[in-house]
Amino acid sequence: MRVQTRGRRSHGSAVMITATLLLGVAACGSDDDSKAAETTAAQAATTQPATTQPATTQPAATDPATTEPEATDPATTEPAATDSTSEDTGGGEASGTLKLGILAECEGAFGGFNEDVVAGATLAMVEDGGATPKSKDTALDGFTGANVAGLDIELVGVGCGDDTPDRIIQEVRTLVEQDGAQVVLGPLSGDESIAVANYAKDHPEVTFIDGIAGAQDTTLKVQAPNYFRFHGDGAQWNAGLGDRLHNEAGWDTVAVIADDYSFGWTSAAGFIADFCAVGGTVVKRVFPPLGTTDYSSFVQQLPDPDEVDGYFWVVGGTGTNAALEAFVNAKGDLVGSQHAGNLFFSPALASALGPNIAGAYVGGFASLPGDVKTPEIEAYLASADATWDSLAAGAAGGEVGPPSVAMGFGFGYGYYVAGKALNQALAAVDGDLSDNQAALREALSSMTLEVPYGKVTLDENRQGIITTYVQQLVLDDNDEVVSKTVALIPDVDQTFGGTFTADTPSPDRDNPPCEKRDLPWTGKAIPVVDGVPQE
Amino acid sequence: MRSPRNAVAAAALAVFVLMPIVGSDFFIAFVMTRAVMLGLAASTIVFLSSYGGMASLAQFLFVGVAGFMIGNAVGEGGTKGLKLGWNPWVGVLFALAVTAVLALGLGALASRTSGIYFLMLTLTYAVIGYYFFGQVTTFSGFGGITGIEPPALFHGHPLRFYYLCVTLSLVVYAVFRSLARSPFGLALQGVRDDPVRMASLGFNVALQRTIAFTIAGFVAGIAGVLNIWWNGQIDPTSISIGPTIDLLIVAVIGGIAHLEGAWLGAIVFVVANNYMRDLPLASTIGLTEARFNTVVGLIVLLIMVLSPDGLVGVILRIRSGVSGPAGGRSRTRAHVDSGGPTPITVSTQLTEGSTK
Repeated sequence: MRVQTRGRRSHGSAVMITATLLLGVAACGSDDDSKAAETTAAQAATTQPATTQPATTQPAATDPATTEPEATDPATTEPAATDSTSEDTGGGEASGTLKLGILAECEGAFGGFNEDVVAGATLAMVEDGGATPKSKDTALDGFTGANVAGLDIELVGVGCGDDTPDRIIQEVRTLVEQDGAQVVLGPLSGDESIAVANYAKDHPEVTFIDGIAGAQDTTLKVQAPNYFRFHGDGAQWNAGLGDRLHNEAGWDTVAVIADDYSFGWTSAAGFIADFCAVGGTVVKRVFPPLGTTDYSSFVQQLPDPDEVDGYFWVVGGTGTNAALEAFVNAKGDLVGSQHAGNLFFSPALASALGPNIAGAYVGGFASLPGDVKTPEIEAYLASADATWDSLAAGAAGGEVGPPSVAMGFGFGYGYYVAGKALNQALAAVDGDLSDNQAALREALSSMTLEVPYGKVTLDENRQGIITTYVQQLVLDDNDEVVSKTVALIPDVDQTFGGTFTADTPSPDRDNPPCEKRDLPWTGKAIPVVDGVPQE
Repeated sequence: MRSPRNAVAAAALAVFVLMPIVGSDFFIAFVMTRAVMLGLAASTIVFLSSYGGMASLAQFLFVGVAGFMIGNAVGEGGTKGLKLGWNPWVGVLFALAVTAVLALGLGALASRTSGIYFLMLTLTYAVIGYYFFGQVTTFSGFGGITGIEPPALFHGHPLRFYYLCVTLSLVVYAVFRSLARSPFGLALQGVRDDPVRMASLGFNVALQRTIAFTIAGFVAGIAGVLNIWWNGQIDPTSISIGPTIDLLIVAVIGGIAHLEGAWLGAIVFVVANNYMRDLPLASTIGLTEARFNTVVGLIVLLIMVLSPDGLVGVILRIRSGVSGPAGGRSRTRAHVDSGGPTPITVSTQLTEGSTK
């Protein structure tokens, strides 16, 4: 078995050595600062080869000339060479470069939203900084030419998360410690955000603005002074839903089934706090692990439909349909009026489960359903459509379509809001990044952020105080299931009027307990009729 | 001490020690530190495989158990775990004690199996560990434990921490090599080669295997302590089937029959993981980070086809090629002279195991 010809040995050795040397060259090459410019292009194209060069005139795959300009593109190399943290210029606009990193999600349960979230952050840079996306068909190729408050915004990399803390820490370390990112937008998912917020504590020189992660602990418990979140957590998004179900739909008892991780717990906690506050009772809590494929054993733990008034679902990703199908098999057909859920409970369910799901109530997300139109929302969506020809957005199930589809959904919108917050704060301080970005952080903490789906302010933990909404799945004129906004809940804070504090147990399988209490917004929901708030 | 093997080891050590002079902060604090830690963990696979004939997939479990124990013991005011708030050094003792006891128990259970059955049993351990820490929220939950800081001696001192990893690796390397020449090590290698004969000679085969498994588990625990100090967090995904297989791949790339290969394989693995995206033309031909597993798979395939002894095997062949037939030492002589292992490949191990 070990007998090999000399020639083959030499060949094998040569291959190994060549491969090792190549990697070594790559590793050594990254030690100098000029590499950052190359990384900009290479990392931004995490899942796609560079396709922005005019393919009609240059075959991209083989012509070295095609890659040469990419690596030495003045637009990206120039700022990198200065490698400067902007200094306070004493009143006027700053000059220099701000290195920006995006923590996106290219794998895992939310990997399909990679395009959406990078596009969201990019759109903010296009609107406020005059950036030009490198491609008209994808945001993943990055952008050039962004300048906000005198600072060139250099995208040093797009981190590729997979919704696990382990991976996101590797990614954020690469962005910050290798690529020198001074501001990071992201991450996307709950557990990731807790890990990144803890990481932020050890890196006071970097400012983090959460993408769309919804774990409560991220801001309420970790409280990193340089971590900001301009959207709600999973609990806030369900504010008002319990009130609606108890007082409008007549539910007194509910069974909760939620993903067994921080976002699932947080989302369920918000609903439980809200539902119990007005007098409802939670009779059962079931927590299947994230990524479960066969939900039958978990569904069997739920009470039968005649034993409970309704079910609340927080099962996301690929689990949503699988869990509901397991329910149908075990408990009988779905009756919309007996089900409610969080953001994962979308009209897309109808394609797999049929129109019986109509009637179900659903919690909010960062953006609003399409039935609510304001001039700001329409301008925002038009801006997205003007920036790209099309995007293969996760919000559209990965199908190529209008960019406004991605931007109208919470994932893309969350990153857009993060980018807008950064830009608005930079403008407020004239690009002053001195003293560990102290002025920038003060501006972020105290600003009222004006964004298309409503204003956002931050609490003392740098967590958004938001307007959320309750929606309902209904049948339209074509008997298609669509979302309809039924109520807006203004000024929803993370603590639920003191229900959740830094000292109360984190949301988990047993917490919060089901207790009647006063919530600031109970009975104060603003009805929405035909997409118009009845204020 | 003047054997070529020692010379190579000394040269490698010199490279590790001097690397911070030429490498960037990131390269040392992230790439090299991670590689040394991963090499330390992978060395336990090599130790079990080359000296004991046991291909274990449970080693990353012990890395994880030590990490979770540190997280539970040291964590204070974090979001998950027991949050006992102990002194970090007490936490280390606690974590290593728990890991060693667990390794002893699991080793005792696994010691009566060999070959493919041993492999499957240790894989089962790894899967159980993943679900245990995922499901039992008292200790972790799927979100894991975050916000763990190393002792003040190393907190904020990445270079100091790097040298700690190098020092511990050196100690472990020396201990493993000296173990190979000890009566226990010789008996273990006898068990590897012919357990029936060793049993007939009066050796307790199961006990030898159990002790070896416990030692390997303990060392993997050390790697686990380093890992959570370095990473600041641990979650069940950190010890899921992916990282478990990755560790075996690291050992195979380096050369599963050579202790040195563990660190060599780890460097190749980590460097590839971090810098593949920067290779010239890599993104043009689709070799982006998302294709990392594909590339690593190809590397392993090349290794298995061209050099089953891994990269260390390549180096040995180059050396024998340079020295000529007279200068190249036979495997048997190398084995006898240095007390080193018989280089068995994974494929031969599996074949042997399945026929035992």
